[in-house]
Amino acid sequence: MQALAPEIILAIAAGLILLVEAFLPRLRKHLSELTLIAVGGALWARVTMPLPGSVWSDALRIDGLASFVDIYILIAVFLTVWMAGPFLRRLEADHGEFYALLLLASVGAMVMAASVNLLTIFLGLELLSIPLYVLNAFLRQTGISLEAGLKYFVVGAFASAFVVYGMALLYGATATTNIVDIGERVVAAGELNPLLAIGLAMVVGGLAFKIALVPCHAWAPDVYQGSPTPVTAFLSVVPKGAALIVLLRLAVGMDLLHVSGRWVLGISIVAVASQVLGNVVAIVQRDVKRMLAYSGIAHMGYALVAVLVAGRDGGTAVLVYFTAYTLMNMGAFAAIALMSEREDRPHLIEDLKGQGYHRPMAALTLTVCLFSLAGVPPFLGFTAKFMVFRAAVNEGFVLLAIIGVVNSLLSAFYYLRVIYALYMEPLPDPEPKLEPSLPIAAAATVAALGVLVLGTYPGPVLEAAASAILSLVR
Amino acid sequence: MSDHVLTIVLLAPTVFAVLLLPVPKMWRRVHRVSTIISSSIMFAFSLKLWFGFDADNPGFQFVDSFAWIPQLGISFHIGIDGISILLVLLTTLLLPVVVLAAWRLNIEHIKSLHISLLLLTTGMIGTFVALDLFLFYIFWEITLIPMYFIIGVWGGPRRIYASVKFFLFTMAGSVLMLVAVLYLAWFHHGQTGIWTYNYLDLLETAPLVPTSGGLLAPGLLVFAAFAIAFAVKVPIFPLHTWLPDAHVEAPSTGSVILAGVLLKMGAYGFIRFNRTLLPDAWELFTPLLMVLAVIGIIYGALVAMVQVDVKKLVAYSSVSHMGFVMLGLAAGSQASTQGAILQMVNHGLSTGGLFLLVGMLYQRRHTRLIAEFGGLAGVIPVFTGCFLFVTLSSIGLPGLNGFIGEFLILGGAWSAFPVAVVCGGLGIILGAVYMLMMVQRVFWGPLENPANQSLPDLTIREFFVMFPLLVLIVWIGVHPMTFLSPMEAAVRLLLAR
Repeated sequence: MQALAPEIILAIAAGLILLVEAFLPRLRKHLSELTLIAVGGALWARVTMPLPGSVWSDALRIDGLASFVDIYILIAVFLTVWMAGPFLRRLEADHGEFYALLLLASVGAMVMAASVNLLTIFLGLELLSIPLYVLNAFLRQTGISLEAGLKYFVVGAFASAFVVYGMALLYGATATTNIVDIGERVVAAGELNPLLAIGLAMVVGGLAFKIALVPCHAWAPDVYQGSPTPVTAFLSVVPKGAALIVLLRLAVGMDLLHVSGRWVLGISIVAVASQVLGNVVAIVQRDVKRMLAYSGIAHMGYALVAVLVAGRDGGTAVLVYFTAYTLMNMGAFAAIALMSEREDRPHLIEDLKGQGYHRPMAALTLTVCLFSLAGVPPFLGFTAKFMVFRAAVNEGFVLLAIIGVVNSLLSAFYYLRVIYALYMEPLPDPEPKLEPSLPIAAAATVAALGVLVLGTYPGPVLEAAASAILSLVR
Repeated sequence: MSDHVLTIVLLAPTVFAVLLLPVPKMWRRVHRVSTIISSSIMFAFSLKLWFGFDADNPGFQFVDSFAWIPQLGISFHIGIDGISILLVLLTTLLLPVVVLAAWRLNIEHIKSLHISLLLLTTGMIGTFVALDLFLFYIFWEITLIPMYFIIGVWGGPRRIYASVKFFLFTMAGSVLMLVAVLYLAWFHHGQTGIWTYNYLDLLETAPLVPTSGGLLAPGLLVFAAFAIAFAVKVPIFPLHTWLPDAHVEAPSTGSVILAGVLLKMGAYGFIRFNRTLLPDAWELFTPLLMVLAVIGIIYGALVAMVQVDVKKLVAYSSVSHMGFVMLGLAAGSQASTQGAILQMVNHGLSTGGLFLLVGMLYQRRHTRLIAEFGGLAGVIPVFTGCFLFVTLSSIGLPGLNGFIGEFLILGGAWSAFPVAVVCGGLGIILGAVYMLMMVQRVFWGPLENPANQSLPDLTIREFFVMFPLLVLIVWIGVHPMTFLSPMEAAVRLLLAR
């Protein structure tokens, strides 16, 4: 019970927030603060509670890995809620459901990342996805938000069906739903039989939808663009992280790197295709959020290289990459939320012209996050890429590392485009009007500072990731 | 050395930049005064390196080493030897010079300019002193960001194109270097079982990377990855196309730093990493480097000859002069290598000086087209004198610094590469032709353009900007041993590897 305290706190808080909204109208204005307290409490519980490992007859493994993932999910949620409060108030959409759904989605992500059983994985996946369908469409007066919700729902339901069907096949092939046992069987057999291979492919395909990997990426730009910006920020990191951890558990459990040549080939192709497509298409985007959607596809391509390498190096790299990606994406989206004038229109790069001097702090945080996304030192994004490519080179995938660094170069081009719009072009006329919002600015600044500080002194993150991964790879 | 002099020199600019951050941006004078004072102090402090330097010790001095990312075997490990000390001092010298040169410029965002310059300085010094390949890579890449802003924010009409081109060219060169660094570390681990990025440790194993087995031999690929990164920066023909754009669009502050220090990072990389880490591949690639160096010398000179814009002319002359540096490094004798390193400093002084003067001229007339000028000698005699002096140093007049560098390079390369030396000699003649032609057309002849009739001469401030450069130009020309002797032992050790 104790081990699950963070999840329980969040779930109870979700219920309480709905009750508060219904029965305590005076507190309605402070829902986001209440949610922040709940998330903070969950974070505190996660850090202080013991990590017993297997709980509830091995349905969940609350181990070092789960704890690491939980902490970054909770930080992401914290930043999301921090920026969501003023954002929603500005749009007069500050309803309790938003926070309740967000908390439930986080519980889903945490369950997913901690589970070693196909059934609980699926349970987590659905608990994560269903609230998100609603959250995407939360600005129900704006068309693009509704469109985003509908698209994510259709694609998401399709992906869930894939995952379930794949799981059924995995169960059929091995007569167990525990992925550790499945892994042991695969390792003992030394190969993937056709049934297992098809099942695995379907599960991976379904998860690829959640992660937005090529060729299951098509929903991402529209959904990113249409969703309320805080939801986009959440969507761009939390489900992706949870799904990647599931992939990592599968890959490590079955030792796929050594068991299946097809896995190596297939994942390499998906990784490279995601990087290339994401980066190339991002170049022609005019909307910042769409651009970040494509850049996210590319980033998942890099992270997938680390999943492929697996092992201690690869696993550490996945975790470091996700820490970096979470902070830079959160910072970037918060900065965009700060600088966007209206939500029912696209967030064009042109609209950012001259903002570098008009809103220096927001522009600076965005710049830091974008340089970090481009993988320029001394930011955390560079450290993360370094870890991924290091793992790839050490395992003999030099070519993948080369493709990766060349892709980073491609990506620099479109990130620079935003930066020069910010600093090197004059303010448009008339000037965009927007009242400054302290909490959003604070969230952006915290994320950007994290990117900078952890980038120049990455020791603690690397240490934490390396020890977290020990619970998966011995 | 236990007093961390080098670490202080390296990090002080960043500390000053952070201190500038909270100062309100309207306080322009405060920014200027504090930056000039802090950069002068930093230069004075960096002289401690010079006076504390032991010329007979070929190894690294002022070494500081802290564990930084122990999980990966990465340390904050810095030190200087006879090769890097001159470049570090050149960097710290040029900072106050450019800050003073930009003093009266009526430009926006003066605070950000100073912060960028200070951060850039840390990056540049770091590149010259890093003894850990990871650290080196970080500093190498860090210089991109401030320089990108300096060109892009304070540059000319095509500044965005120029700054993005600069960023992408340089990054394109260096991303593969990252893979090469990773490979060397992996190779070292394979040989010794230890994870490290320490330059001194990798020196033991990197030469063992196999270079035979066709074009795809790992040693050759690693060499190429490093070489491309450095070749873009030097720049070596045909990777030089970003340079004229960047130079012409950059404000003169940026041009001086770019020509004075940034280009040297490339040449320094060649001698420090390519040459010592992969000596076998260096042997194989020497003819290619030699050919490209000679092409750069001649090509740069020929293109410079037809320029109508003074700044562009000086930019192409940089391509030509850096060709000499590469020729000296590729020839690889004691004299030519020392000459090449001295020539790096010379180029920083004379081309940096030319860019400063061109900037001052631009400030007076808001044009840089040669055709707009003529007969300036009568109007601004002191300025003309300075310009002529720096030009003569740039084309290698005996008694000034350029002569010593070029003489050592060509003399040292003569026995092994006579053809290249002859071509290099031709480049010197061409250099004299285009530079003197430009001087003649700008400063002599009839004073026809009425806009030129009442230009103010060199001000006291501008004279103080030029003064340190002029002194050093003469000093190196008259008594080069002051600068050659500290590097002698280090170069000997380097060539013996």
